[in-house]
Amino acid sequence: MTEGMPQKSGDALGAALLLAPALLVIAIAFLTPLARLAALSFSSPQGVLAAYRELLGDEVFWIVLRNTIGLAAIVTIITLTGGFALALALTRLGGGWRLALFAAVVLPLWISVLVRTFSWMLLLERNGPINEAMVATGVIGQPVQLLFNFTGVTIAMVHVLLPYAVLPIYAALIKIDPALLKASEGLGASFATTFRRVLLPLSARGVATAAAFVFLLSLSFFVTPALLGGANNMTVPMLIDTFVNERLAWPLAGAASMLLLGLVLACIAVIGRFVPLGGLAEAR
Amino acid sequence: MARAIGLKLFAALASAIIVLPVIAVIPVAFSAHSYARLPPEAWSLRWWAAFFADPTWFAALIVSLEVAVLSAVACIVLGTSAALGMNRLPPVARKLLAGVFLGPIIAPTIVLAVGLYSLARSVGLVGSLLGLVIAHTMLAMPYAVLNIGVSLAALDPRLALAAAGLGADRWRIFRTITLPLILPGIAGGAVFAFVTSFDEVVLAIFLSGPQVKTLPVRIWEEIRVEYTPVVAVAATIMIVLAITGAALGRLLGRVRQEARA
Amino acid sequence: MSTVSFRGVSKRFGVSEVLHPLDLDIRTGEFVSVLGPSGSGKTTLLNVAAGFLAPTQGKFFVDERDITSLPPRRRNIGMVFQNYALFPHMDVGANVAYGLRVRKISSAEIATRVARALQTVQLEGWESRAIASLSGGQQQRVALARAMVIEPDILLMDEPLGALDRQLRKNVQLEIRRMHLRAPRTTLYVTHDQEEALVMSDRVTVMRSGRIEQIGTAEELYHSPANTFVARFLGESNLIPGEVIDVTSGKARLSVPGFERPLVGRAAAGVGKGMKAAAMIRPENIRPRPGGLPGRIVERVFLGEITAMRLVVADGIRLWSRLLGADVPQTETMDVGWRAEDVSILPDEARSK
Repeated sequence: MTEGMPQKSGDALGAALLLAPALLVIAIAFLTPLARLAALSFSSPQGVLAAYRELLGDEVFWIVLRNTIGLAAIVTIITLTGGFALALALTRLGGGWRLALFAAVVLPLWISVLVRTFSWMLLLERNGPINEAMVATGVIGQPVQLLFNFTGVTIAMVHVLLPYAVLPIYAALIKIDPALLKASEGLGASFATTFRRVLLPLSARGVATAAAFVFLLSLSFFVTPALLGGANNMTVPMLIDTFVNERLAWPLAGAASMLLLGLVLACIAVIGRFVPLGGLAEAR
Repeated sequence: MARAIGLKLFAALASAIIVLPVIAVIPVAFSAHSYARLPPEAWSLRWWAAFFADPTWFAALIVSLEVAVLSAVACIVLGTSAALGMNRLPPVARKLLAGVFLGPIIAPTIVLAVGLYSLARSVGLVGSLLGLVIAHTMLAMPYAVLNIGVSLAALDPRLALAAAGLGADRWRIFRTITLPLILPGIAGGAVFAFVTSFDEVVLAIFLSGPQVKTLPVRIWEEIRVEYTPVVAVAATIMIVLAITGAALGRLLGRVRQEARA
Repeated sequence: MSTVSFRGVSKRFGVSEVLHPLDLDIRTGEFVSVLGPSGSGKTTLLNVAAGFLAPTQGKFFVDERDITSLPPRRRNIGMVFQNYALFPHMDVGANVAYGLRVRKISSAEIATRVARALQTVQLEGWESRAIASLSGGQQQRVALARAMVIEPDILLMDEPLGALDRQLRKNVQLEIRRMHLRAPRTTLYVTHDQEEALVMSDRVTVMRSGRIEQIGTAEELYHSPANTFVARFLGESNLIPGEVIDVTSGKARLSVPGFERPLVGRAAAGVGKGMKAAAMIRPENIRPRPGGLPGRIVERVFLGEITAMRLVVADGIRLWSRLLGADVPQTETMDVGWRAEDVSILPDEARSK
């Protein structure tokens, strides 16, 4: 019934005024800091691109970058697998059980990542409950080092990021017409085949969104790797922190920040070709 | 039938695996010992007393609450205004702006933290309440805008027309029709902004100072060195707050559903 | 209560002309339906009257005052929408009182007027009810009360009964008609349902593609339609194509292939010698006449009190006849006839294009 809708002139002005305060905050607290970092990255006394050259020429940086991307990749793969299983379970559960599992998945999102990481610190300790349980049940003979290494960080990050994978995949799965799955099974396909040839392709968008989002977040994680990782598990965010707080090397901090930002934007660009970006907003 | 039971078992197990590690810290807050160990061998409330008796912990709690309340208020005022503005624009402009508002969500928080720290230093806002509030408002506002935008979009546009036909001017329409109907969305946004601010770590680490420090920052500093179960008390307080927020959020979402019907 | 006038009102959106320049006059206390298919511009016309749309050209008058540039809230109009647009967060009383509150009327008087308005729509005492607890018909009546309680100069209704089921719709139509007769109010009523228009209106305006095809009382439009579109839009009709032989003192003679003698009937405006035209005869006017035009009954449809029959006459011309049960013959043939005054000779656009 757009035919009858009133048109107000001067709406653009009203809209601009209403949006101004919010956009001001974005300008001051979001755009300006980024611009400032960019400026800093070019402000090394050794030259405009000196910071970048130093960073990219440093072997340590490449190791850290590799750590970061590798960690993100592995976390994404594990999280996607678990997330898909949970999302699938959600679609097949009825009323009360579905609500309960949903609540369980969503609840951790409200709790600070610091608290969640701290909990893992207590759980993964050498004398902690996980090690004790494993020794008691005979899975291992001796307590294993789960903290301050890649394993601990991965476990904790997977756990934290799981809900971010479940929600977009669930949203995609719920849209699939259940009649399609019945048709597939009626035609004689096994669950594995139905999964491979019907479920997966139809939920591909949701899975891609989940993958992009989880990968993105993993790259940016600071708290969890900082607390649970060891000396060999430094990530780019941790590196930026040391540039600022330990070395007071602002140009380097700026350059590393820009590179990290570039990496994140590249991810979005790649995934944006396959998936509408509105999905990312809805994922939250 | 076995399938259904297996599914329910999986659901129960998965729920336990997801939730328990999150709240694993709570028992430690009730430990009688001076070291943090799971599970505690003896129970006591001594660390709760210690928490509230300690001026630095208590001050951190107060700072966190102040920043969270102020951020929440700023978020919903700016967010409602922005959502109303966006609603008047054509879809193309709206999508563009939605992209702009996505920025704080997508950009790595560490990068924003470092940038804000640099900016704050140059204007002397490090370790200030204002700096923290601005930073947290920036972070939570996009959610508020999008959330309230959804509430606005669900509003029947003919209600405003009916009110106009009955003689109401724009301000009256907003006051008597629009605002009451999007209130659940706004309240939800406020709750979310509050909890987001209270939970937030990275921005707070860089923008806190010796006098003004949020609770997460205090915890962060403490657990990197030696710590006692008093840290677990702080963490438990944060968990309780978060769960309250989640419950409120759920409730408000339900109110919104009913208002739409 | 007021007179309403559209003078040369047109509306263009981009390149499409939704309303061609038109004139329309509505008398004080008159109930005028605007009838037409979707896309005919009827809702646009209503929105211009309400002030939600500004006309591209032309002016809109209430009581001889030009209010074309006045915003809706200053026009003192009562509007009823198709989906009622009742405020869900207010109860019935607050909804009906809304317009009165805007006009800063005292609480005491508001209470009285609201009670009276609810009484008029037979919802007396329902002030504290929640909107969500009302049925469609009840909501519609609250919407009516809300529009009328402010004593508007004009009442504008946009297909308000569209969401109701058939039986309820019929009841409410009659109810609105009765309310109007008790307390006439200048009303513009938009609908696509011709039966509704016939039941409720003092006059009916038929619109098509942004133009007014004809305006008149229900009887005028039914018995003397201006063209085949109006004839087809209101009630059932038989249209027999032919060519006009001549027109004298308002009567035309139509030559139809297959008929030995020309058909005679009232000539509509614009019908001239040599034109392609159609003779319009309502099915109820095609009656059995012994010795008349021989017809073969090829189809019967039982409609309750009426039976419709399809006849083939002359050279394969098919006609519908509608007769009351008692008059329906059981034979396979029926000789039919009609009176010349039941025939309208109309311009046939379909063929003249």
